Amino acid sequence: MSSLSNPPAGDDPNWVAPVVQYDSPAKRQETTAWVGMVIFLASWGMMFGALFFMYGGIRARATEWPPEGLPAIPLFWPTINTIVIALSSVTLQWALISIRKGHRRKLTHGLVSTFLLGLAFVALQWKVWIDLNEIGLMHTSGFYGSVFYGMTWIHAAHVAVGIIALGWLCIQAVRLFYSAPRHLSIRLWTMYWHFVGIVWGIMFLTVYIL
Amino acid sequence: MGLDLAEVLVMELQPIHAPPTSFAKKYLFTIDHKVIGKQFIWGGFLFLVLGGGLAMLIRWQWAFPHEPVPVVGDMFLGATQGRIGPATYNSIFTNHGLIMIFWAITPLLIGAFGNFCIPLMIGARDMAFPLLNMLSFWVWALSGAMVLASFVVPLGAAGAGWTTYPPLSTNVGMPGAGQSLMVGAIFVTGVASIMGGLNYVVTVIRYRAPGMTWMRMPLTVWGLWLTSILNVLFVPVLGSAGLLLLLDRMTGTQFFIAGSTGMGANAGDPILFQHLFWIFGHPEVYILILPAWGMVCDFVAFFARKPAYWYKGSVYAMTAVSVLSAVVYGHHMFTTGISPLLGTSFMLFTLIISVPAEMLFLNWLHTMWKGSIRLTSPMSYTLGVIWVFGLGGLTGLHLGTTSTDLYLHDTMWVVGHFHLTMASASFLVVFAGIAFWFPKMFGRMLPEKFGHFHCWSTVALLTLVFVGQIISGYAGHHRRLFDPYQYTFLEHLLPLNRWVSYFAFALAAIQGVYAVVFIRSVFAGKKAEQNPWEVGTLEWTECTSPPAVHNFDTIPVIVRGPHEYAHPEVRRVLGRDWISQTEPLGDSEQATGGAAAAGG
Repeated sequence: MSSLSNPPAGDDPNWVAPVVQYDSPAKRQETTAWVGMVIFLASWGMMFGALFFMYGGIRARATEWPPEGLPAIPLFWPTINTIVIALSSVTLQWALISIRKGHRRKLTHGLVSTFLLGLAFVALQWKVWIDLNEIGLMHTSGFYGSVFYGMTWIHAAHVAVGIIALGWLCIQAVRLFYSAPRHLSIRLWTMYWHFVGIVWGIMFLTVYIL
Repeated sequence: MGLDLAEVLVMELQPIHAPPTSFAKKYLFTIDHKVIGKQFIWGGFLFLVLGGGLAMLIRWQWAFPHEPVPVVGDMFLGATQGRIGPATYNSIFTNHGLIMIFWAITPLLIGAFGNFCIPLMIGARDMAFPLLNMLSFWVWALSGAMVLASFVVPLGAAGAGWTTYPPLSTNVGMPGAGQSLMVGAIFVTGVASIMGGLNYVVTVIRYRAPGMTWMRMPLTVWGLWLTSILNVLFVPVLGSAGLLLLLDRMTGTQFFIAGSTGMGANAGDPILFQHLFWIFGHPEVYILILPAWGMVCDFVAFFARKPAYWYKGSVYAMTAVSVLSAVVYGHHMFTTGISPLLGTSFMLFTLIISVPAEMLFLNWLHTMWKGSIRLTSPMSYTLGVIWVFGLGGLTGLHLGTTSTDLYLHDTMWVVGHFHLTMASASFLVVFAGIAFWFPKMFGRMLPEKFGHFHCWSTVALLTLVFVGQIISGYAGHHRRLFDPYQYTFLEHLLPLNRWVSYFAFALAAIQGVYAVVFIRSVFAGKKAEQNPWEVGTLEWTECTSPPAVHNFDTIPVIVRGPHEYAHPEVRRVLGRDWISQTEPLGDSEQATGGAAAAGG
C-alpha cells in the first residue's frame, strides 16, 4: 500500500483515499496468479537443483570425465539446439509484448513460431539420443550415461508439457481469445517456457560442455 | 501502515462461490476450503488407523517374537500360521513410517488445518486457487490408493525402510512392484503437497483482509505459512530423488547403484540418495512441527487469557528455524563417512537450531505465567504437546552431537526421540486443534470431560512408550531388528519391551474409543455456539458455527492482533476479558467508522 493512501497527519478523519490507486479485481487476480507461478517455478527449480546437486556430487570427485571407454558427448547438434530453444524464448517474449500492445496477429505468429521451434528442439534432442546410442552411450552405461539420459529425459518431458500448452495457446489465439487486457495464460506460460530454457542453458553448460 | 475504505471496497470484491447443489459437488469434488479440510481429516484418520495398526504389529513382534498374532494373524498372515516373518516385518515397519508421515500426519496437520484455518483466520473467502486445492486432495487420495495397492501386488509391499535407501530399495534389494508403487506414491503425494503448499503461501501473501498485517496474523497462520514455504521448496528435492530411484528401478539407469571397483568415476553412489533424501528429510521434520508450534503459541494465549508473550519473538524464532532447517540435514549422515569438517559444521548448525526452539518454549511458559488458565480440553492437549515436545527436544541433543550420535545412531533412542517430537507432539496438536476447531468445523461440541480423559491418558502412555524406547535404545537395541533377543546382550530387554508393548496396546485402545466419540460428536454432539472459547480471532467472531460457504458476509476489517486478553480498558468498556480482532474500542478507533485503525 502506498503512503499516498494514508491521510496527511492531522487531516480530517473522513478523508477517503481514491479507489483508482488499487488494482481492479481482475488485475488483482492476475497478480495473484503471477505470484503463484513465481512460487511454483521456485519449487520446480529446487527439483532441477537437486538433479544438478546429484550430478555435481559425482563430478566433483571424478578424476577423469568422461569415464574411461565412453565417448564424449558431441557438441554440434546440442549447440544448434541451444540456439533453437533460445530463439523460441525470444519469439515467445515477442508474442507476449505484442499482445500487451493489442497486436493479435503478431501474437499468433509468435506463438506458432515458438511452437514450431519447440517441436524442432524435441526432434533434434531425439536425434542426439539416437546418435549417442549408435556410438555406444546408453542410459545403462554407468553413472555417465544415467546422468546424460536421465537429465535430458526429465528436461524433455518439461519441454513436451510446454509444447502441448503452446499448442492450446495457438488455438486460442487463432480464435482471438486474447487481448491487451486479457492474456494471463500467455504471460504465465511464457514464464514457464523461459524457466525451461534457463534449465536447458545450465544443463548444456554443465552436462554437455564441462 | 494505514488502512482506508478503498482497500476495504477492493477486498470486498473477492469472488463468492455459489453454494453447491449436488452431493458430489458438496462433499467430493468441492472447491470449498472448509470441506477440503474435512476431507483431509477423514482421509488422514483412515490412514492413521492403518499406520497405527502396523505399529501394533511391530510392538507384537518385539513383545512376543515368533508367536502368532491374535485375530490379525489369522486374517492376513495365513501363510505363516499367523506369525510375522522377517520380510513381512520389514514391510510392516517401512509402511508404518511412510504411511504415518505422508498419509496421516501431513494431511491431518497441514491438509486439514491449513485448509480449514488459513482463509478463516486471515479473513478471506477462499484459497487463492480453489480448483488447485481440490486437485491437491484428489492427487493425495490417488497416492493413498497407490499405497493400498502396493499391499496386494506380487512380492509384497515396500520393505526398504521409510528412508528407502538404495541399494536395498533398488531392484537388487526389493525386486517387487510394491516398492516401485510406494516410491511412485511418495512422488505423487509430493505433488499434492506442493499444490497445497503453493496455495497456502499465495493465499497468505495476497488474501489477508484489510488491516490484517503480517504481525497481526494468528501464530497458527504463521506456522502453517512457514511450513508451506518449506513444503514448496524441499518436497521437490524428494520428488527428484524418488524420480531417479524410479528410473533406476524401471529403466536400468545407475544413479544409485554402486558399480564394481573398476568403474571408477562412472559408478553410481547410494550415498547420493541419502543426501537428496535428507535435504528434504530434515526440513520435513520442521514441516511437521511448525504448524504445531504455531497452534501451541495461539492456544496458550487463548487459554491463559493473556497476550502471547513476545509475539514477534515467536515469529522470528519460527522463521529462524525454517531457515536453519535447510542447513542441518547432514546430522542424519554422521555415520556415512562424511568428512569430519562437514560433520562438525552440521553439528554446529543443529545445536544452534535449538536456540530459537528454546525461545519458543520460553515464550509459551511466559505466556502461561500468571495467566488465568482455563483448563479446557484444547488447553490440556496443548500442555501435553509442550511436555512431549520438551522431552523429544532434550533427547535430540545427543543425536545432534557427533560424538554421542556415533553410539546412538540407528538405535531405538532415535526412534523414541523422533516419535516424541514428530509423532507424539504432532498428533497431540492435531487432537488439540480438533478439540479447538471442532465446533467451527462441525457446528457441534466434542465432550469436554472425555477430552481431558483422552488427553491425559494418551500423554501418559505416549510418554511411557517412547521413553521406554529411548531406554532400550540406550541399552543398544537397534531400531530395525526383527528379533532383538537372538543377541545375548539384548536378551534382558524382553521384559522392558513387553511392558512398552502393553502400553502401546493400551494407547491404541484409547484411540479406538476416541474414534467412536469423534464420529458420534460429528453427528450427534451438543450444538456449538458461535464462540464457545471466547477468543478474538476472525473464525470465531465473524463466522457462524459452521461458517457459511462464503465465510464472511462482509470482509472483516482488522484493527488489532489476535491475542488481546485481560486488557483493563477492554474490561471497563465491554465488561469482558477479550476483544475481537475487528472490534473498535473507544473514541479514537470509532472516529473513522471502524474502518481506519491506529497504526499496527
